[in-house]
Amino acid sequence: MMALSPTRMELLRLRRRIALARKGHDLLREKMDALVMEFFEVLRKIYEKREGAFDQLGKAHSSLSLCMASWGTAETEQAAREARKGAVLETSLRYIMGVPVPVVEVGETVRTALGRGYSLHPSPSLLDRASEEFERALKMLAEVAELEEAARALAWELERTRRRVNALEYILIPRLEAALKFIGMRLDEMEREHFFRLKRIKATLERREAVGGGAEG
Amino acid sequence: MKREVVVVGERETVTGFALAGVGRAYLHSSREETLRLLRGLLREEGVGLLLVTHRVAEELGEEWRRMVREKGPFPMVLRIPDRTGYRPERDELEEMVRRTVGAEVVVRREEE
Repeated sequence: MMALSPTRMELLRLRRRIALARKGHDLLREKMDALVMEFFEVLRKIYEKREGAFDQLGKAHSSLSLCMASWGTAETEQAAREARKGAVLETSLRYIMGVPVPVVEVGETVRTALGRGYSLHPSPSLLDRASEEFERALKMLAEVAELEEAARALAWELERTRRRVNALEYILIPRLEAALKFIGMRLDEMEREHFFRLKRIKATLERREAVGGGAEG
Repeated sequence: MKREVVVVGERETVTGFALAGVGRAYLHSSREETLRLLRGLLREEGVGLLLVTHRVAEELGEEWRRMVREKGPFPMVLRIPDRTGYRPERDELEEMVRRTVGAEVVVRREEE
């Protein structure tokens, strides 16, 4: 418990602090509600896109294994080493309720057979097919990744906000209220003591007057 | 800002994404080595997307999960199925929902 001086000043100060803490608590609660809504919106989008992206990746793997089986594993891997490397994403940030989340702009990832850069002459169409499927998958996966990062960031912010709401609700505000009650009671008590003291003084004075009056009369 | 894509996984995953133009595709060998590699990649400004197969992520365990929790918005990290299509039974998203919103919430895919 904090050191308290039971004064009217302190009482007023506490009342102000409680009002402020309650206001902060309400604001944080509102923020939490908004975060939950954003979180679920992102979640819905993830569920919408993730399966499609993973299916595409599965398809890419099947055409790759087909290519490896019919053309040869070593040849396929050699072509992979030769393939032109240029998979980049245009990235930036945006803010959802002050939480930074990534944004990717995925351009066209699917390339022409020439654009892939492996030597065309001996390469079978199966290789082109596998490359194309992976290029498609890459684009879809980048979109899912963006959403998952947003979900992760929002979930983290939610936890943080919830901790602060709880700290206010279960620790700070009850503590301040207890202090307020304590000071209120203490002030009442002092009031009674004071009142009683006044009565005593009055009684003494009256008695003294009565005695004095008797002597005179 | 332009950032590159990096892949870590088994042979087929690495080969496939290299064909798609991913410049840095690393073959997973041992837990320690891959952890060291990923720790470096997470600090690199130029990495935009880090694809790691579920199987590798599982082998890396808690330390990797912690690394992902503590990173910023970039690089984005996504776990993907490998050649066999392997995905763990415990879905990371469901765990996240349980942790943040409470166990009573069930998220379903929207029905058509």
